[in-house]
Amino acid sequence: MDVVLKADDLSGGYLLVRKGSSEKNEVYVDAVSDVSLQLERNEIFGIAGESGCGKSTLLKMIYGLLEPPLILRGGSVTFITVDGEIPITSLSENDLRRRVWWKKISYIPQSSMNVLNPTVRIRDHFIEMFTFHARMMKNEAYAEARKYIDQMGLPRDVLSAFPHQLSGGMRQRVVIALSLLLNPNIVLADEPTSALDVISQKVVLTMLEEAQKELKNTLVIVSHDLGIHGVMTHRMGIMYAGKIVEIGKTEEIFEDPLHPYSEALIRSLPKLGDKKQRTGLGGHPPDLKKPPSGCRFHPRCPYAMPICSRTPPKMKMIKPGRYVACWKNSMEE
Amino acid sequence: MSKLKYGRRIISNLIDIYKTSFKFRFGFTVIFLMCIMGFILPLFSPVNPRAWYSVPKEQPPSSRYLLGTTTMGRDVFWELCSSIGKSLTIAVITAMIASHVGLLVGLLAGIRGGLLDRFLMFLTDTFIIIPGFILLVVVVTVMKNFITIPLMGAIISIVSWPWPARQVRSMVLSLRERTFVYTARLSGMNTSKILIFELMPHLLGWHLVNFANTILFSIGTEGSLAIFGLSLLSDNTLGVMLYWAINYYALYRGLWWWISAPIATLVLIFISFYLVSIGLSEYLHRMVR
Amino acid sequence: MSLRTSKKDLIEYVVTRTIFYIATIFTSVTLIYVLFKFMPVDAVENIIFQLTSAVGGVYDPESVMELRRNLYEMFGLGGNPIESYILFLQRVFTFNFGPAFISFPTPAFQLVLSRLPWTIGLLLTSTIITWTLGNLLGLIAGYYQNRKFAKVLEAMAIIIYPIPYYVMALILILLFAFLIPIFPLGGGMSIIPEKITLDVILNIIWHSLLPALSLIIPGALGWSFISARTLAIETLSKDYTRYAWIRGLPSRHILRRYVLKNILVPQTTVLALSLGGVFSGAMLTEVIFAYPGVGMLAYRATFSGDLNTLMAVLILSIFAVATSVFLLDLLYPLIDPRIKHR
Repeated sequence: MDVVLKADDLSGGYLLVRKGSSEKNEVYVDAVSDVSLQLERNEIFGIAGESGCGKSTLLKMIYGLLEPPLILRGGSVTFITVDGEIPITSLSENDLRRRVWWKKISYIPQSSMNVLNPTVRIRDHFIEMFTFHARMMKNEAYAEARKYIDQMGLPRDVLSAFPHQLSGGMRQRVVIALSLLLNPNIVLADEPTSALDVISQKVVLTMLEEAQKELKNTLVIVSHDLGIHGVMTHRMGIMYAGKIVEIGKTEEIFEDPLHPYSEALIRSLPKLGDKKQRTGLGGHPPDLKKPPSGCRFHPRCPYAMPICSRTPPKMKMIKPGRYVACWKNSMEE
Repeated sequence: MSKLKYGRRIISNLIDIYKTSFKFRFGFTVIFLMCIMGFILPLFSPVNPRAWYSVPKEQPPSSRYLLGTTTMGRDVFWELCSSIGKSLTIAVITAMIASHVGLLVGLLAGIRGGLLDRFLMFLTDTFIIIPGFILLVVVVTVMKNFITIPLMGAIISIVSWPWPARQVRSMVLSLRERTFVYTARLSGMNTSKILIFELMPHLLGWHLVNFANTILFSIGTEGSLAIFGLSLLSDNTLGVMLYWAINYYALYRGLWWWISAPIATLVLIFISFYLVSIGLSEYLHRMVR
Repeated sequence: MSLRTSKKDLIEYVVTRTIFYIATIFTSVTLIYVLFKFMPVDAVENIIFQLTSAVGGVYDPESVMELRRNLYEMFGLGGNPIESYILFLQRVFTFNFGPAFISFPTPAFQLVLSRLPWTIGLLLTSTIITWTLGNLLGLIAGYYQNRKFAKVLEAMAIIIYPIPYYVMALILILLFAFLIPIFPLGGGMSIIPEKITLDVILNIIWHSLLPALSLIIPGALGWSFISARTLAIETLSKDYTRYAWIRGLPSRHILRRYVLKNILVPQTTVLALSLGGVFSGAMLTEVIFAYPGVGMLAYRATFSGDLNTLMAVLILSIFAVATSVFLLDLLYPLIDPRIKHR
């Protein structure tokens, strides 16, 4: 396993301070709780889960983007290069911006509809990246941008357009192109297809996939849509209520989901030829301000046992590359 | 929600703002004191503040004459008190008229939208373009000796209504975006009714802010007009005090108390109304989140 | 995918704005007419009363009758409202305001026009400086929101903004013309020159510095600063600004390209809306500093009840403000790409 990034017992969340009344109230939303995972080189890794399970927060923490009220509570994220290790979680934001961001790791934010500067043309978005990160002169940068656009398969006249003149799908493709510009080792994509129509989704995913194949980087896709994971990702991690509950090869998880939550997720997907009614999962995700004791899934778990409400299960390796955090699975030994 | 519960919620909100916002507290306290000075104290005034030569003239501040006396033989302190009351009265009249007209126009434009919105906004923008002060100068000159306190308040409101109108309209528009989600679900109920009931609690806060701002604007305008000699020169307002002080060259003749009193009071009034206004608007912004 | 950079959109915009410009002037003039019509006081009689009872005013009865007739005509206060409205419009758009009482028999229009350059010169420069300075200060104060100097600026603005303009002006005069006599106490220039030389121009500028300062300081630390700062803070939380930060772009670049560029459009709107007030403020400035502009003229006119001059000032200032707003409107396509490119 050629590991490019690892997260060890990563914990973080949102510290909300209410200044409404005379006493200051502090509430902590435990969005990411003791997450450990490893990303390999040259793979597409998916993070799946319901809305609010903490996957976007996890992605931000991996990138090192700790915008208040997001804080790091514990653990670490380490980026492994040929020249050594870079401790993402202990670097200052300035260092991150200078050395890591965009050059080594890039980030595609959620709802990329509005991330482009409305008063600036598309080509200037590209030119500024070249100018500041690669220290190019302006005309050099412009030539590079033109070349790059062609390479990415985007039409030339996109460059002279303003963001509002482009469709949502086209804007998303521009954002993806921007993220791959400096050929980073890792690309983190947060819900790259939400708010897009089906055709645009396919175009965007194809673009990401082809780029990954060619550049052989690590692509991390966060999405609540299991269909995307099934089609794109090589390995995936399933998140529930701030915890990673299962990790493994996508194919294997779809074939044989071990964690009860993964099971429910997979079972709810329509299957060709299977005319049985899809069953959903009862209940709703817990309030992360006061998460349930023990295993966070136990209130909704059809297999819940007494120990599940008392002690949180630890991540266990079932076989190389396959991990589950569940008492039911640990017991079956 | 019943009217009683409504009223109680508003009062508890106000108390909340008072407790949490230093700006609001400070401003509100000063305004409260000003009101006492302007409306209650004059009832106890030992001299008629409008009568000339009722006290020895041009006395510096002393224990007898708290803020000194003027060239026309008036006690500066009592003149100040009655002036505060008169200025505030004019300002409140202006605010009542202008902020409510603005509220109406803003509501109509925001809720109805379409052609009515365009027309009302055109009207509002036209009024904004007309240089208000110059218009006031012309109007007051023409009415020179016939101005009374209510009339002054009404005249100033002619040029102060557009700003609240714009503010209310943009509030309504941004709130409309949000309440449309509810409207979609609660289909079957009159859209305008929903909008009004949903909007009112939020709007009330901004209405208060506009009210405070209009008061500010009115006092300032009245003062500016007075310096031009265009005010109720036979009565006392803060602006008129300034006018007389300037015209009798108070500063150059060393009668600093005569001109400093109204200036200091004006500055205090302005700052406190402004503090109340931003205290309120900061609170409203936080509530939205 | 089609990108239409249509000249058609641009032309459409210009035409719309021109129509609005004409309509605004027309409507304001009409509003003035209506206002005078509905006044509870007989304007004409009051004016004539003021004129004839003014100290040192001697008018023969024929002139007074002529004057009365003219004023009635001017304000449409006699006879058929529609006819008088049309007459009123005619007079306004031919700039026929009658003779100025304070400077008989010079036509009021000519009198105002001769003073206009002073006022516009002062206002134009001080407004441009105020807007630019306020933008820059507000931008920095918004970006470095939590640093000490930003909080100091904010506190200063809170104190300065509500203070009535004349107080600020009086304080400035006290400080810099009286106590520490750097600037002249007032006036437009020292001596009426024979011809325009560099010296004369410098002299004029020197005399206009203090009045200009009295306008710039409360503006650049007042309305311009506050709105710029609010807008800057709002823009900082926008997605595109955060995305620029995420991409590791340096803060100076973000300030310029992402924040400043994006507050220019709403700030221009703020400027357009405040022009009416700026012009009004000019009146006070000129009176306090004895600056020979339109405001000073109006001041003298109020003393003698010179309605003709006052009307001329009012109408011409409406024209001036409406035109400035129109010109600003024409600038929008240059700063907001959403207008030129649909």
